[in-house]
Amino acid sequence: MIPGVSYAQRYWDDVEEGAELPRVDDEITYRRVIMNPATTWDYFPGHHDPEYARSQGQPTIYVNTMHFLGFVDRLATEWGGPGSFIARRKISMQRSIYAGDTMVGEGRVARRYTDDTGPRVRHLVDLELTVKNQRGELCCPASVTLELPARGPEGPG
Amino acid sequence: MGTEATGYDVPVGAYEDAKAMVGTTTPVRFGEIAVNAPMIRHYAAMVRDGNASYWDEDFAERHWGGAVAPPGMLMTWLIPLEWTPGGGRPVPLLTARVPLPGDTFINVSHDAEHFAPIRVGDHLNVVEELVDVSEAKRTSLGTGHFVTTVSTYRRQDGELVARATNVLYRFSSSSEDA
Amino acid sequence: MSGDAPAAGRAVEQESGFDLPIGTYDEARAMIGTRTEVEFATHDVAWPLIKYFCAMVQDGNASHWDEEYAREQWGAVVSPPALLMTWAMAPDWRPGNPRPRPLLAGQVPLPGTTVVSVGCDAEFFRPIRVGDRLNVEEELVDVSELKRTRLGEGHFLTTAATYRLGDGTPVARYSHLLFRFTPGDGEAP
Repeated sequence: MIPGVSYAQRYWDDVEEGAELPRVDDEITYRRVIMNPATTWDYFPGHHDPEYARSQGQPTIYVNTMHFLGFVDRLATEWGGPGSFIARRKISMQRSIYAGDTMVGEGRVARRYTDDTGPRVRHLVDLELTVKNQRGELCCPASVTLELPARGPEGPG
Repeated sequence: MGTEATGYDVPVGAYEDAKAMVGTTTPVRFGEIAVNAPMIRHYAAMVRDGNASYWDEDFAERHWGGAVAPPGMLMTWLIPLEWTPGGGRPVPLLTARVPLPGDTFINVSHDAEHFAPIRVGDHLNVVEELVDVSEAKRTSLGTGHFVTTVSTYRRQDGELVARATNVLYRFSSSSEDA
Repeated sequence: MSGDAPAAGRAVEQESGFDLPIGTYDEARAMIGTRTEVEFATHDVAWPLIKYFCAMVQDGNASHWDEEYAREQWGAVVSPPALLMTWAMAPDWRPGNPRPRPLLAGQVPLPGTTVVSVGCDAEFFRPIRVGDRLNVEEELVDVSELKRTRLGEGHFLTTAATYRLGDGTPVARYSHLLFRFTPGDGEAP
């Protein structure tokens, strides 16, 4: 086991609908926004060029789609555990997160169910998540369908 | 919005403190990532280097015995990740740990000798030595000291791949000439 | 030092790959159903890029950091699903072809002068494993009528991308919603 790495696993059987996910706060600096193109190779200028961002009516550079995706997935799998499989994830970017903002991630379990329409039974959880900024403004609502291991022979992977 | 101190805050001290450090050698430090093809491609695209060694796998196989990295990426393979799950600050380079009066720095020269190609799959490690700190000098940037370090890079099997001498100018941001 | 500093060069690329073609709504509608050629990644899914991305979003999931755990759980270290697009992204530059190839959304002629991403809906069919080599195909699905939002006036574009392995096995389907607009005079937030 590597220190600091998340291993704790949640099982589908133990999930309760309506359960709240722990809140996650993440301060986003210029450096974190610049890490967007560095790590995703997305060179859209809104994410690294302040002049371009201002020409779009934005105050400064802002995080890219993939950063939102990664933060949402992190919320889901920090709660669900490293054995979770993200089967579906939908986000809406209603407001940008700018260099200087804090990403505030929260969520709840909307539904717990099984799906046997495919080659194997999947044990699924639907999560409703939000990414807000430090002013409580909603930036990114998200829905994630997570496949979790169940206490039995079937499981994702 | 404040700056983050991950490895770029330099310790303030006297020239004598820096001179006392000359001869210091770091313990061996290992890169956290392996030499890999996508980063090679990305770097070659950034500098617009169309060298077939980096874009044509068959050429690299025939000429080098496998995919190789641009020598310019040498230091990149040893830059610590910005964040790891275990937490903690990345260890700054030796040159950034020398106590001197100056509060900022700029790199001045880098002289590297390469002894063997760096190959995809390699895990590099580095040992750094502080070899010199100059007396105070004046340049157009302000008053400062030249800090010389020598870094020795080896592959996972111990083979020496490169040795680089780096000179960095450590100066006071408030002392710039008009 | 005396004299003026030399004027700074132009800090923005002449051809960024994000130059948006100007055109009409009808021209955009006529493009619906257009499919791009399949773009093949020139490298495999690689662990170093996974680490950099996880470092950026500060995700300590063992599936991305612990090889032993990941092999047992998934058969190999796996990529965060969020990094999907990067694995089949065309390089920013390549020899003999200095212009990056834009995403399909950036090829649609419309009046708006800029674009912003507003939504994405992705479905994943299998884990993305280190060693996989992906390819992607995009399709323009829809272009909305003129709308006014807080950002300005423009059109919503929907593209759908299908990611596959070299043998055609589907990996993911990614639906992307973008707003192509001219900034200013939007409605109050």
